[in-house]
Amino acid sequence: MSEKVVNLEINGRGFQAREGMTILEVAKREGIPIPTLCHHDALEPVGACRLCMVEITHPNWRGWKGLVTACLYPVEEGLQVTTESQEIHQVRKTILDLLLARCPDAPYIQKVAAEHGVTATSFKKNEVQTVCILCGLCVRVCAVKGCNAIGTARRGIRREIAAPFGMPPPDCIGCTSCAHICPTDAIPWEDVNGVRKIWDQEFEMVRCVSCGRPIMPVTQLEFEAKRAGISPDYMTTCPACSQQKTLETIRTAFTIKRPASEDAVEAAS
Amino acid sequence: MSETSIDPDRVRSILTRYPQGDGSGLIHALQDIQAEFGYVACEAVARLCEHLNIPLSKAFSVATFYKAFSLEPKGETIIRVCTGTACHIRGSQILADELSSLLDVEPGGTTKDLKFTLETVNCVGACAMAPVVAFNGVYQGNVQPGALTRKIRGGK
Repeated sequence: MSEKVVNLEINGRGFQAREGMTILEVAKREGIPIPTLCHHDALEPVGACRLCMVEITHPNWRGWKGLVTACLYPVEEGLQVTTESQEIHQVRKTILDLLLARCPDAPYIQKVAAEHGVTATSFKKNEVQTVCILCGLCVRVCAVKGCNAIGTARRGIRREIAAPFGMPPPDCIGCTSCAHICPTDAIPWEDVNGVRKIWDQEFEMVRCVSCGRPIMPVTQLEFEAKRAGISPDYMTTCPACSQQKTLETIRTAFTIKRPASEDAVEAAS
Repeated sequence: MSETSIDPDRVRSILTRYPQGDGSGLIHALQDIQAEFGYVACEAVARLCEHLNIPLSKAFSVATFYKAFSLEPKGETIIRVCTGTACHIRGSQILADELSSLLDVEPGGTTKDLKFTLETVNCVGACAMAPVVAFNGVYQGNVQPGALTRKIRGGK
């Protein structure tokens, strides 16, 4: 990102930002709410859900204004952004209306839609049972993780998130990043008796050497250790136990005996 | 998925045409696999991904995105009935129904003996010869239902 600073306006207030930042990044920094579904700070934005639509204009644009996705649009000198207006609300309502038609039973979509004043879809409800909104967060996080185990399949109305050839994905390490990042909890998984089940696969879990609680799948441990270039033994303690260990180490290291002179002063008084 | 066995040597000969580790050859290679085996076979794609150094999920995305790729084995003869406007007006629906009952498959399906695959396409660009039916890419114009019966019975 360049070091050049640009001045822009959001809802009539002036802000400074580094060139190359997106409207969403600046708005977030300044505490201006813009709703999103497919955005995550750790991932490259793709503008899949279109919920972050904002209106932009510029003094040099001779009155032209347009709707853009805040997550993708880079700020520029003199840009004037409006995050709330009747038109923007209408656009967001339509998007949520369509998402509700696709996933009428997704609690999170129902909640977000209700917040925007959409309680029921005005379109024909999807006959296929799904709570997936195809935002692609799971696919992107899997790619960032370095596994690329899952992807999108087919296209148009048949598009879906799927494992290759409908089989348990060979590249999956069972980390459940996809399930955790999913805004609508569309990816099922469970941990039962030290075995994790996700994407029709079972993963044996590594147990904490101190307390015996399952930490993560063996495949994930090996993957993470290899990627970080460290021994897998470094990660065989669960977060709670390693915190406890660190605490004890610090306590021992910093227990300083009070000087004898202080004891003498206390005794005298 | 693997109804016909995939000969590793035939896969290898396709792979040698593409530089190792260069993912940009994906679609061409998938087309070659489709041409060689009649469909995009899972085992062949797995080998291809290793060769091009791309994730299996990506190849699967691409293979399912384009209608030109089929993940199921196809028949020896692929029959495409054009259902474009001109062909539709001149009775392509009757031809499709006739073929459907002759072969006992719905459009998009393949006969159990893997001899025929029946498909409908939106337009093959030969409207002057409507109705058009293509047998393995060879166009036949002004097709009559009776001619189809003779062709299928003769070939079966």
